Amino acid sequence: MLERRLPAQRVGIHPAERAVLEAGAPSARLDTAGLLHYCSRTIMKMKIQKPLLPILALGLGLALFTGCATSGVKNPDATGVTEMRGDEKGFVGGTGVESQDLIRVSDKIARGILSAPQIASAATPPVVVLDPVLNETRFPINKNIFLDRIQAQLISKAAGKVTFLARERMDTLQRERDAKRAGNVTSTSDANVQEFKGADYFLTGKLSGLSTSSKNGVSDYILYTFQLIDVRTSAIVWGGDDEIKKQAQSDAVYR
Amino acid sequence: MKFALTFLAALLLGVTGCATKKPLPALTGDLITDGKNAIAYGPAKDRVLWEYRVGLAALRRGNFEEAKRQFDDAITRIGGIYTTDAGAKKARSFFNTEAKKTFIGEPYERAMAYYYRGLLYWRDGERDNARACFRSAQFQDADTEKNEYAADYVLLDYLDGLASVKLGSGDGADEFSRAVKNARGGSQPPAYFKKANVLVFIEFGNGPRKHATGRHAEQLRFGEQASRIRSVNLKLGSQQFPLVAYDDLQWQATTRGGRVMDHILANKAVFKDVTGGTAVAAAVTGVALAHHGSGEAALVAGGVALVAGLLSATTTPEADIRTWDNLPRFLTFAALELPPGEHSLAIDFRDASGLTLSTRTITFTVPPVSGQDTVLFLSEHKT
Repeated sequence: MLERRLPAQRVGIHPAERAVLEAGAPSARLDTAGLLHYCSRTIMKMKIQKPLLPILALGLGLALFTGCATSGVKNPDATGVTEMRGDEKGFVGGTGVESQDLIRVSDKIARGILSAPQIASAATPPVVVLDPVLNETRFPINKNIFLDRIQAQLISKAAGKVTFLARERMDTLQRERDAKRAGNVTSTSDANVQEFKGADYFLTGKLSGLSTSSKNGVSDYILYTFQLIDVRTSAIVWGGDDEIKKQAQSDAVYR
Repeated sequence: MKFALTFLAALLLGVTGCATKKPLPALTGDLITDGKNAIAYGPAKDRVLWEYRVGLAALRRGNFEEAKRQFDDAITRIGGIYTTDAGAKKARSFFNTEAKKTFIGEPYERAMAYYYRGLLYWRDGERDNARACFRSAQFQDADTEKNEYAADYVLLDYLDGLASVKLGSGDGADEFSRAVKNARGGSQPPAYFKKANVLVFIEFGNGPRKHATGRHAEQLRFGEQASRIRSVNLKLGSQQFPLVAYDDLQWQATTRGGRVMDHILANKAVFKDVTGGTAVAAAVTGVALAHHGSGEAALVAGGVALVAGLLSATTTPEADIRTWDNLPRFLTFAALELPPGEHSLAIDFRDASGLTLSTRTITFTVPPVSGQDTVLFLSEHKT
């Protein structure tokens, strides 16, 4: 049909277009410019009104886009970042320990520690050292994160009622002290005096879990317990806890 | 000319839009490289499958950081299956295959991801997180159709108890008794040895391979792969420790009973058969009506045949057979007490008759620091 409408002997025909007409169909030999020229001339020959041409071009572009949508990439664009508060329940979640649990529990424990008589009524701020929590749940977690947040809450909100020791930095601190003692760096006080403090209390905790799974779904109960332990007597001078239970059922395709 | 430019602009716009589909780089033959490319450029629904494969290959090569990265991400995704997933919804529909769902694997595959992450935690001295992983691994197997096969991995309970013993947070008696109860074929685990400071995790054989059976490939099955290795023998100087497998993944894969998804796939298969039968019947009726001059009725019958035929042809009851294909079949374990210093351990992999088919040797150092376990991982496989 094309051949009939566009005779090869026409004057001014593009060489690529001629090649197409001679071959009967566009081929791999055709370059892009030739193909465009061929297509545009073909459309012009179809006597399409000029004002319609941009619409036709736009339609072609949209058709190409539509073609892309079916080529296997469901959501090629990123979903974007959803900024949330740490205590918000997000749209991605499981039955394990999540940020909203961490914030709820650590806030409660920090308030509890501040109200303990040993802290609230102490003549001088007690010195506290963090001892890693023990994880007895079925969820592997970053064990320091609870104590880190409790410590941060107490430092920022307790107005100096508690002093924490940076025991996890002891290697660095000892190196600095040794450099001072050796005279390698300056010192504003007598470097030979032992000033590293000892702890009055240990703050530690435990995460215990109770999990069940059945055809009706999964249930995970986690008990968070924290204790303030007197280093001198080993007495537990304060204890606090919180508990969270979550239940869920996965999609049938995973059961 | 003006039109040609407009046309070119539209074409370029369209082509630019198409560039969002990145091509998968050429295969290199290296599982870790190809797997990481598949994670980066392949379909998101297969991401966890590749993380499993790459994580295990990295672990076998001693690239523990890479293994941790892969298993951590996979485990996070296993834990997040309770949120709505468009792929899962699609997989339930008549017109999409089960393989449309985001892969997290069958319970034995999920359990193994936790198991490997657990031994990596133990290697890092985090015994409680290791125990958490062993508990989660056992948990994956807790909802079987038949209760007698629920949560019946021997090694997972045994390691759970051993971690508690070593942490001083229990005597592990409950876990040990469960492990003993579930032991099969003379593979009773030994009593806990608290002084053990070298833990040897060993695996051998080839894991289950999924395939589909049934008229429409709607029934998931777990094929047994040839595995000549049936036991191992540890040699430490003049001492020998023969070990049998505590757990068999073929057993674990095949004793869970039916899945809820199996019922969905069976329904899809019935729908496909019924619509297919309807299409044939309507077509035959249409032809007969046409012969008898009932043109309008023949047309209606033809329409019914067409619609039913289309429904039948587009119904996809095929089961998802994506498999974590570098898993082993058998798992075993040994706990030893060794003095600080360098040691060499040889492992004979033996067939059913006790004949050694291959031997691997590992040299390691037990650190002088007490309270830290040396964790060794030995596999018959290299990737």
